[in-house]
Amino acid sequence: MSIDLNKIGKILRDQAYIADKSVEMSVFLSMQLEKPLLIEGPAGVGKTEIAKVLAQALDTDLIRLQCYEGLDATHALYEWNYQHQLIYMKMYDNGNVSKEKLEEDIFSDKFLLKRPILEAISREKPPVLLIDEIDRADEEFESFLLEVLSDWQISIPEIGTIKARSKPHVILTGNRTRELSEAIRRRCLYLWIEYPDFEKEMTILKTKIPGLDQKLGEQICAFMEELRKLKLEKTPGIAETLDWAQALTAMHFTHLDKQIIEDTLGVVLKDWQDIRHTQDSFSELLEKTGVVSRLS
Amino acid sequence: MLVQRQTTISGNLVQLCKFLRTKGFVLGTKEESDALIALTLLPIGNKDTFHTALKSIFAKSKWQFEQFDDLYEEFWEQLKKAVDSKTKELVEPNEDKVPTVQKPSLETLKSWLFNNEPEEEKNIAAYSNLEVLTNKNFGDMSTDEMRLIMALLRKMAKQLAHQKSRLKQRSKRNRYLDLKRTFSRNMRLGGDILKLHFSEPKDKKLKLVLLSDVSKSMDIYSRFFINLIYAFQNSYDRIETFVFSTTVHRVTELLDNHEFNKAFEIISERVPHWSGGTTIGNCMQDFVNSYGHKLLTKKTVVIILSDGWDTGGSSELKQSMRDIYKRSKKVIWLNPLAGNPNFSPDVIGLQSAMPYIDVFESAHNLESLKRAMKHLKTGRRKHLLNT
Repeated sequence: MSIDLNKIGKILRDQAYIADKSVEMSVFLSMQLEKPLLIEGPAGVGKTEIAKVLAQALDTDLIRLQCYEGLDATHALYEWNYQHQLIYMKMYDNGNVSKEKLEEDIFSDKFLLKRPILEAISREKPPVLLIDEIDRADEEFESFLLEVLSDWQISIPEIGTIKARSKPHVILTGNRTRELSEAIRRRCLYLWIEYPDFEKEMTILKTKIPGLDQKLGEQICAFMEELRKLKLEKTPGIAETLDWAQALTAMHFTHLDKQIIEDTLGVVLKDWQDIRHTQDSFSELLEKTGVVSRLS
Repeated sequence: MLVQRQTTISGNLVQLCKFLRTKGFVLGTKEESDALIALTLLPIGNKDTFHTALKSIFAKSKWQFEQFDDLYEEFWEQLKKAVDSKTKELVEPNEDKVPTVQKPSLETLKSWLFNNEPEEEKNIAAYSNLEVLTNKNFGDMSTDEMRLIMALLRKMAKQLAHQKSRLKQRSKRNRYLDLKRTFSRNMRLGGDILKLHFSEPKDKKLKLVLLSDVSKSMDIYSRFFINLIYAFQNSYDRIETFVFSTTVHRVTELLDNHEFNKAFEIISERVPHWSGGTTIGNCMQDFVNSYGHKLLTKKTVVIILSDGWDTGGSSELKQSMRDIYKRSKKVIWLNPLAGNPNFSPDVIGLQSAMPYIDVFESAHNLESLKRAMKHLKTGRRKHLLNT
């Protein structure tokens, strides 16, 4: 596939994903070098979104493997549809079919339940394989993943080795709840996404919410920027900014004031201690962002 | 190291890799070849593109991602100078060199932890190093030593967390086939085995509640203990953590959601009177009233980290300690100041609470901390029935 760097940038922009240079470069290189891309960053900065956008842009499927504690190979690779196998055996257990034939039949594709990774490598057109929140899975799963990611083949004892028809575009995401092993890092390209700065967030808002008032947008972004500097338990991400802007636009506000912020803070902050903490330093926050109280 | 002038771009790339390796990047030939392939794919002559491409290939972690830009600049600076003088000595600060004595000591600590006798010929010098660490007061330790201790504690916490009971429980993972359940369940389906059932060893349901004093008198230890709690909480999910000085604060989720330094920052900002005075009695009473009904059960071990200096009255402490004692499996009080030879437990508050404490340990060094940890596994020895 011939694709150049500018094209990637354009693809991402066309899908309304505002990316900076390092994002474009990482996506580009991971496609060109056929290496998985490991994306880390705080919650709500659009890590998962990259995979979704990429799948849309390449007009291919997104196969998602959500990791959780206790995830093991059977959930990620394949399982035999064992009930069906048994019923099948019962049906043909009248002596007309030879044992060898029966065995061959029941261990065929028909009874194989493909789980995300096997699914991803058996597609003709390379899909985007999103391995979400890899840091939540156990370390054993991580090492298992290493094997798959480097060889692109899966051995199923009853059938043999299945080689990848095409290498999927792999995107791994993580929140750094646990340090990932050096080995998996080395097999991937790495990208760290930070909370957006003022300009980037503003561009995102304008792209996603066309009807947004310019002044309101600026105030929201400034407020979010200051809010993220507070030491909160759950720092709001871009998703929260978007929700908030959407809500305020829907209510036809054109600017922020103290009352509005107080009433709608629940859209942005999802933790009561955070809300209390923010209210404590409210006047300081408003001063910094240039929002004046309606009364003054 | 020497940065030598290279005339080819690949030569320079290899130089850059060499340079980055001295700065803690882990780069092999794979990365070098990737970088070279990448260069063929990119438009020539754009400096920024070149830079970002190398960054996405060479950086492998958040730290490296942040460091890369500066190091990259530094490298080209050095190279420019090298062009003039052919070879140029690079000023190399030795800050990130790990002292060589630490490695053997970690080995010894490990084997000591598992109660293996160290092999005689191996690391005799390091063994004495261990002795020093074991009995060294936490307050006097250097950061390197602390890091060593923390790694060790994390391991201990992990072992504790994974204590398996001999009882089995149902499991969705394919661990052990539960024959009894498999047969009985499949009888309903006509006797053919259609669905397999599995079991796994049941975790011992030990619950931990940690109450850590963060008042002024505990200042040098509180950071350490919060770190300890953090290590614990990351490998043990049935744990509730509180900090107190004049009021009690639940910090369980905070420690769950953030990396240590951030969590510590938030805690010290949130908790009023951090490093102020203590009213242990009130705090314990508070704890019992607000959380006791939920957290205190006969499977709960309560660990209190405090020096017992109380600016409040002693009767509240006695009363609340009695409540905690009655409703828990065990009460462990860790007092780092007790490691001081001049210490005598004449703090009135503490004395009144003494009857309701199962284990009293100083926990000011590794040895005593390890002793205290042992108590977590066992039940209560003495019983106070008449109180």
